[in-house]
Amino acid sequence: MASSGAVPFWRAAGMTYITYSNICANLVRNCLKEPHKTEALSREKVHFALAKWSDGKPEKATIRSDTPDI
Amino acid sequence: MAMAAALRREGKRLAPLMSSQPPINTTLRSSLISPLDQSSIGGARSISTQIVRNRMKSVKNIQKITKAMKMVAASKLRAVQTRAENSRGLWQPFTALLGDATSVDVKKNVVITVSSDKGLCGGINSTSVKISRALSKLNSGPDKETKYVILGEKAKAQLIRDTKKDIALGLTEIQKNPLNYTQVSVLADDILKNVEYDALRIVFNRFQSVVQFLPTVSTILSPEIVEREAEAGGSLGELDSYEIEGGDTKSEILQNLTEFQFSCVMFNAVLENACSEQGARMSAMDSSSRNAGDMLDRLTLTYNRTRQASITTELIEIISGASALTG
Repeated sequence: MASSGAVPFWRAAGMTYITYSNICANLVRNCLKEPHKTEALSREKVHFALAKWSDGKPEKATIRSDTPDI
Repeated sequence: MAMAAALRREGKRLAPLMSSQPPINTTLRSSLISPLDQSSIGGARSISTQIVRNRMKSVKNIQKITKAMKMVAASKLRAVQTRAENSRGLWQPFTALLGDATSVDVKKNVVITVSSDKGLCGGINSTSVKISRALSKLNSGPDKETKYVILGEKAKAQLIRDTKKDIALGLTEIQKNPLNYTQVSVLADDILKNVEYDALRIVFNRFQSVVQFLPTVSTILSPEIVEREAEAGGSLGELDSYEIEGGDTKSEILQNLTEFQFSCVMFNAVLENACSEQGARMSAMDSSSRNAGDMLDRLTLTYNRTRQASITTELIEIISGASALTG
């Protein structure tokens, strides 16, 4: 079960399945034609603030991107 | 207020003095007693009409504001509600396949508390926090640990008080753009990358109706635990009876499946919680407007009573003055 042959390329690159499916969805959205395209792309906006904790509150990283690819 | 009360006390003490010297009465009286405060010479205290009028004005403004907030919350609720109900279909196949194993005993629990950023929404955030604390207590024991991931400001404020060292991640400002799957999945991805877990327990308020919200816990197991449970039999033991297509092995499929399940369940949880937040805000603002209306009625009665009493006092003074002149 350790490293069973072909791990898919995206997992070998450090992506999770979620990231992979998001990129695929972005590609599909970009294939749309104009009025639907802008409205679909507006459904992809990401904005939140993530703070890692260790007994207090250190760095506050704001991840805000118009395309959600990390 | 304190000064007015002090002046009133002075007025009471000087009242017998003043009534025995009628000519000096009016000038002394106006300089010693504040013009707003009308206490009769006999020493009876009554609240001034100006103060009551100010209170009535501010209560009426509050009532208008809370009514407007209720309308805003109602319109936001309508927008999110259909999306939340549609998103329920995302995780139902997962529950059918993998079961919802709340009672699985694991070493590393991560409790994800979904709450709101804004306040004035009733008690939903407190119930979520209460359930999160209860979950961590349920899972305490030798070499078992619970960590918290907090979405939203309100739960952070409550959990920071006594479980500060158990918090792993804090996420805020989620509702800046309208909620969409992409945002929630990026969030879920960050959680997966930053936190080690055997079981993820998501605590949120499921939206039943505009006045009813059910605190819910959804459990997602890590792929290793799913395999362990599948071997142990029970509801997950049937996994082996499914055929696997393509070149993936079972462990890979399980890993993809659990990640995707987490993302779907998070999406549903965040939407349902947003619905519950708007619904709770509607009912909170509604009861607040009703209370403001009641307060306004009581104040109006007090105002009318005070006004009539002062008119009566003036009439008495005029009449007794007139009868003193003629009689």
